[in-house]
Amino acid sequence: MNRDERAVIRSLPSGVPGLDTVLGGGLPEYSFNLIAGGPGSGKTILAHQIMFANATADRPALYFTVLGEPTLKMLRYQRQFSFFDSNRVGSAIHFVNLSAEVMERNLEEVLQRIISETERVKPGIVIVDSFRTIRAQRGTAEPATFELDQFVQRLALSLTSWEVTSFLLGEYTEAEQRNPVFTVADGILWLSQATDRNSVVRKLQVVKTRGRAPMPGLHTFRITDNGLQIFPRIPEQTLTRRLQKRERLSTGVPGMDEMIGGGVIAGDAVMLTGPAGSGKSTVATQFMAAGLANGETGVIAVFEEYPEEYLARANARNSEVGKMLKAGALELIYLRPLDLSVDEALAAILEAVERLKAKRVVIDSLSGFEVALAPTFREDFRESLYRLVGTLTATGVTVFMTAEVSEAFSEARFTSENVSFITDEIMVQRYVEIKGELRRVMAVIKMRGSDHSHEFRSYEVTANGVVVGGPLTEYDGIITGVPTLHAKLVGAKRSR
Amino acid sequence: MSSADPGRGRLSAQQIARRLIKNRQPERKGSEGRARAAAATCDDLYRELSGWVGLDGCHALFTRALAEARTESAALDEIQLRPRAEPYIDGVAKSITSRGDAATADALEAMLVHLVELLGRLIGDDMATKLIDRSIAAPGRGDTTFDDRREEA
Repeated sequence: MNRDERAVIRSLPSGVPGLDTVLGGGLPEYSFNLIAGGPGSGKTILAHQIMFANATADRPALYFTVLGEPTLKMLRYQRQFSFFDSNRVGSAIHFVNLSAEVMERNLEEVLQRIISETERVKPGIVIVDSFRTIRAQRGTAEPATFELDQFVQRLALSLTSWEVTSFLLGEYTEAEQRNPVFTVADGILWLSQATDRNSVVRKLQVVKTRGRAPMPGLHTFRITDNGLQIFPRIPEQTLTRRLQKRERLSTGVPGMDEMIGGGVIAGDAVMLTGPAGSGKSTVATQFMAAGLANGETGVIAVFEEYPEEYLARANARNSEVGKMLKAGALELIYLRPLDLSVDEALAAILEAVERLKAKRVVIDSLSGFEVALAPTFREDFRESLYRLVGTLTATGVTVFMTAEVSEAFSEARFTSENVSFITDEIMVQRYVEIKGELRRVMAVIKMRGSDHSHEFRSYEVTANGVVVGGPLTEYDGIITGVPTLHAKLVGAKRSR
Repeated sequence: MSSADPGRGRLSAQQIARRLIKNRQPERKGSEGRARAAAATCDDLYRELSGWVGLDGCHALFTRALAEARTESAALDEIQLRPRAEPYIDGVAKSITSRGDAATADALEAMLVHLVELLGRLIGDDMATKLIDRSIAAPGRGDTTFDDRREEA
């Protein structure tokens, strides 16, 4: 048999957003799989999604329930999900209860019942929920353990010979991975949920898939009315940044483009830092509005304010934002669940970027983003942000991020979160005291591969947005927050 | 299911129960033997629904339906449920003798109505109807005529 005559392993769609990517293309047809995890980890929902994605009248699905969650309750809850199509129950999807066989008979009869139903229905998908309860009934003594090994082996062989893709669901702990079912299974999906402070983070791991190269690592997922959605872990820079012409994009802020050598470089990651109220969001909105006015599309990810408030404020300064939002050229993504993963945030932003073919992305702000993350992800914030920015800029978009720095009045912090290394361009805003007044100043700290202004410039936040003024050349010590007039100027004043 | 509007194409629980019983009643019998047909319908439903929801789950549904129907009909006093046995509904002959065929049939029909409604409330009317329709279409159904029901009493 040459290479072309090899059996082709088709991939079945899982019906779970993100899971096919993690699996390396989908579920291998005719594979014998285990979906393992603790109580409430989402095993039954996942099995139902797979079943509804694949069952047809010609190749139906057989769902065997054993003990544990009563079937009626399972149906009652599962049908709340949008993927549950009750019209297909009874034709494409069949439920069979095995509790009598498990409780009153033996494993042989359980096996025979599964096989006879498989012969009768000729399914494409078979699910046994929960397989763990079969084990619990039989697995207390040595002979029963051996009997269980044989049962698993024969079940796998029978289902494969009937060309069935099968899933056993079970509650297992990591210490139980020597169970025979782990050896026999072609694929193992492990679901877990961890509580950290007040947030719960759900994760999926593909422990094993024969004949596939799945994405390694733990992938966060969320359960919504639509079932599970997996957020594949952003790989470390698998994409290389798209090479672009060194095109300059206007910030839309009068005076600012001049400071940065003609505008933001397309495809760069830009960060604007400053204390509360310094006008960071205003600049971010102006940056987006400038792109929209130029016929570009964009995405704004908001983490601090409610989108309605954000939009009202943005509209008050530039009506273009609201118009473009209505026209579908701009999308406002609101992410503030407090148990967010970086991968989930990226998935939402990337999806919008691809859909709109966006050129500009605003993340407002990194500080809010960090707060929205589940505590476990805050620990890896720098690394996560590195992956997020890397993935976004690899698509060719220009990313404009804001970050709040909490500064003592006389102390200058140019960047926050120790994340400056991820950016190509950094601009800072700060307050200074001049002649007893609080004034705002701005400077450019970093422009990778481009010349830029080295001056501190004053700026105003007006009703129409930020307007950058002239350099504060007559002052020294601006960086201290309390500048003084040049000695030369002081002397000149005295002589007058 | 209880407030179903037949005009909208959906049968009420009572219409479903009557249809089930009627399907189980041989034409030659006319209205005679309706109680046994109702009991045979319950047996069929118990057998088929058990395949979906388990013997205990199904028995729990019937127990609740019987309890509800008993508050409305004294003719069910002699009716017993026998889980994991054939026939499932017991005491039908005794009830016919003491209450008459029509009263027993109406009482069993009332139990069926409660069962259909209960199932509808739990899993939705559409899926409940599907499960019940499956029991009518089940291949093993009607292998024994209702005259052959062998009750313990």
